[in-house]
Amino acid sequence: MQELLANIKSDARFEQCSVSASISEDGIVTLEGSADSWRHVVDIGHLAASFPGVVNVVNHLSAEGVRIEKSDNTQRIREARKRGVIASADVVIVGAGISGCGIARELSKYDMRVIVVERNADVSEEATKANNGDIHPGHKAKPGTLKAKLNVRGNELYDKWQEELGFELVRCGQVNVAYSEEDMRGLEKIYHDGIANDVPGVRMLTKEELLKMEPEVPGDPMGGLVAPTMGVVEPFQVCVALAENAAENGVEFMLSTELLDIQVMEDGRFQAVTEKGILDAAYIIDCAGIHADEVAQMVNDEFYTLHARRGGIAIFDKRVTGPYHHAMSAMPRKKDAESKGGGYARTPEGNILVGPSAVEIPDKEDKSMEESDFDYAYDRGKSIYPELDRRDVIAMYAGIRPADYKEDFIIQMSGKVHGFIHVAGIQSPGLASAPAIAEMVEGILKEDMEASGRTVSVREDYKPKRRPQVQFRRLSHEEQDALIRENPKYGHIICRCEQITEGEILDVLHSPVVPTTVDAIKRRTRAGMGRCQGGFCQPRVVEILARELDKDWTQINLKGRGAYILERRSR
Amino acid sequence: MKTIQVDLAVIGGGPAGLAAVAEAKRQGIGRVVLIERDLELGGILQQCVHDGFGLHRFQKRMSGGQYAEAFIRDVEATDACIQDNTMVLEITPDKKIYAVNETEGMLLYECRAIILAMGCRERTRNQVFIYGSRTSGVLTAGAVQRYINMEGYLPGRKAVILGSGDIGLIMARRMTLEGMEVEGVYEVMSSPGGLTRNIVQCLEDYDIPLHLSTTVVKAHGRERLTGVTVAKVDENRRPIPGTERYIDCDLLVLAVGLIPENELSRGAGIEIDPRTQGPVIDQNFMTSIDGIFAAGNVVAVFDLVDYVSETGEIAARGAARYLKEQKEGNKEGHSAHTYKNVTAGEGVNFVIPQKVAAGELTQDMAFYLRVKKPDERVVLSCRMGDETLAKKKERFVAPPEMLVSRVQAGCCVDNDLTVEVRKEVPHER
Repeated sequence: MQELLANIKSDARFEQCSVSASISEDGIVTLEGSADSWRHVVDIGHLAASFPGVVNVVNHLSAEGVRIEKSDNTQRIREARKRGVIASADVVIVGAGISGCGIARELSKYDMRVIVVERNADVSEEATKANNGDIHPGHKAKPGTLKAKLNVRGNELYDKWQEELGFELVRCGQVNVAYSEEDMRGLEKIYHDGIANDVPGVRMLTKEELLKMEPEVPGDPMGGLVAPTMGVVEPFQVCVALAENAAENGVEFMLSTELLDIQVMEDGRFQAVTEKGILDAAYIIDCAGIHADEVAQMVNDEFYTLHARRGGIAIFDKRVTGPYHHAMSAMPRKKDAESKGGGYARTPEGNILVGPSAVEIPDKEDKSMEESDFDYAYDRGKSIYPELDRRDVIAMYAGIRPADYKEDFIIQMSGKVHGFIHVAGIQSPGLASAPAIAEMVEGILKEDMEASGRTVSVREDYKPKRRPQVQFRRLSHEEQDALIRENPKYGHIICRCEQITEGEILDVLHSPVVPTTVDAIKRRTRAGMGRCQGGFCQPRVVEILARELDKDWTQINLKGRGAYILERRSR
Repeated sequence: MKTIQVDLAVIGGGPAGLAAVAEAKRQGIGRVVLIERDLELGGILQQCVHDGFGLHRFQKRMSGGQYAEAFIRDVEATDACIQDNTMVLEITPDKKIYAVNETEGMLLYECRAIILAMGCRERTRNQVFIYGSRTSGVLTAGAVQRYINMEGYLPGRKAVILGSGDIGLIMARRMTLEGMEVEGVYEVMSSPGGLTRNIVQCLEDYDIPLHLSTTVVKAHGRERLTGVTVAKVDENRRPIPGTERYIDCDLLVLAVGLIPENELSRGAGIEIDPRTQGPVIDQNFMTSIDGIFAAGNVVAVFDLVDYVSETGEIAARGAARYLKEQKEGNKEGHSAHTYKNVTAGEGVNFVIPQKVAAGELTQDMAFYLRVKKPDERVVLSCRMGDETLAKKKERFVAPPEMLVSRVQAGCCVDNDLTVEVRKEVPHER
């Protein structure tokens, strides 16, 4: 520790910082004190994590001028406790992002009661919906990390997920382009990492091979790198599909339900105190994304701290198709150390997507897209496709990556509180790794259950295939005609830009995980996702939601609580 | 799939489409179908409860609905087929239209001529790069108008309006009359975007401030909008650091411009003018595909509905002539003519039509144009080489107000044309 502190002291960057550090027997460093900026809080955390023997870092440093408000939940917990135990489950999963939904769906094949609690009004509302949808091959993960292992395994498992769940997956492959000797050295390192990580098919390209593969690469490239297993998905589609299939197999989803506290009972079971009442559970799986460390603190198991890294993305009009078959990336000119640098890809629906940026921010809830995020993302796109025009941008958004200071995934049974499973630090490539994460957690849980003498049996009625969804826009005119004759509601176009019908909206309203907001309808059907961004169809979607959910128009929200669209009736 | 043969299909039952159908029937075109996606005809006019429509055409002040009604009566008096509640999905280059509705499923129209009249859509926050969080409480002016006037709901209590185009100004007044507070209207340009009469009647009469050279740079809030940051901009429309001001509000209304809705046109392979974002047209409003015409805001964004109706009629007359030539076995469309280009000259942002068939003009021809910047005492002229085909003086011009230059029948077009706006020389006659 003295060496770490000396290092911080001698670093000119940290002149204004006052830091003390301690290390526990199991290699957890705890940092206390203050820094002069948030950037330095994060840098010191990373510095501590890089020391040999350090397993993880709890970072309690405060930053000058940064006040992070913590809400006092005492009163809400008291209210919630009064409601008593409302359900008893084998497993309570906290958080319905890609990790939580993936695990829920994996466990849904067993004869056990699983409940997922999610504070937002829908699944996939946080990091899952706001990432670029890359199913990374795994060559950009550091060899030897859990990330590297799960990334490669997850990528491989995606075909099975796709086949069973019916979301769009395009295996486009990824090409990285080098313009300088330095770029070439960078790519060679990635290549060697790819080999070390057992990434299938990854190889260096000569200039000629590169231009044969992608003739429209601009400028004078020196060479490149290809990773053929790269895929792209619409990430929210995957998450919704997992949740729906899990629910079809009996998993219960409690949406708009915030977890407030967890109590470990004398018999080793848990009482998860939610705003709707107490859930009694044998196991708790913490998939709470950026808030996972706070959930772990509820059972006094604090051995890592998450820091929020914002990523901004821009989406272009489908009309702009671009010249490439692969997801593309030139080596970034400026790059955050922990980002893969972002790039250019086409989503399965055909929109060009650029980004994401990578900015460390103190406020875990701040999903504000800044000009600097756009400029970074746009530059990533322009560097490989100079004709890209900002006037064709149809949407911009930012998401928060939940990163720990080791910059690796944390997936393990708690060493302190038996029955509490950590699934934390699931930042990129969390989406690509999701099937492997689910598999790993299933293994941890099953092993533990069997060790305690419980038999874990697969249900006879388990259905791994999700009910297929009608997608009017993808049918031929003849098929569309036949469909409308079956159900006239498919003949009523609600979203003009994406050609989404009332029939499709009614279908998803009968899903086992009912969407109740305009954004939830958008993620399930694409209504409002096109170039006019819901300008025309939003009133129609509000009307359908109000009618089908038997609510007044003023009760229909864009997203969760407080995101009302209409304030009151006019005169 | 039900297949229907028609002489003319008009897509869109707003002001351009209605005028086109009425004129097409007056011209004697046989089987005419009007395809409208909504339940009722009139397009966006139906949500315009304010008056000020029809001053040119009817010499009186009408509401949007009243103006539409006058045309709907004309159309309903004809034998044109009104196919409402029907959405066009695709137009092919050989003039087939695929459209759907709930009762008939997929319809295939085989057309001899088509008039595109799909209108325009509004630009969104992303197209004007308003950064910040994605909350509820950020709506386009058209959506606000729809919620208030058609659905009977108010989308907030205190609004900031970005954009001083007419719809922004009209909504400032409307929201005030509905008991909402309008904090102000912000305009990135140094001059207002809307008509002068609307500045007076919608803002000044209600003490709503207009802030020029100022824009909204950021939206704040987690779930619902809680405020916006505005900033002054420099001459390149870039925000000036240090001029930011936070405004507390729960609604941001965007009146930041309109874009012609040409996804169907692009699908058919029609040439689009990057300037207007509408099809390149000739003096009959025919697009780059023989027999496919376009009218109204799908061609370029007009401000006055009177002009929109006029272009519907021009396109319908063009379609009638095209069908007549075709029937008589004459050469028609592009193969029958050589075309001369019309270019936007000094002071002109864009001009339509973009091309004219060479030869003697058999009837008066209108050029519609927008100037680049506000000016006073200018001369608007249409030149062909050294020859001036039309010329008129304008006391005051500004980009929001579309100008019309009319060249008389009988002029012979044998060279490219230039339309320009120059400062008046004092002794010029």
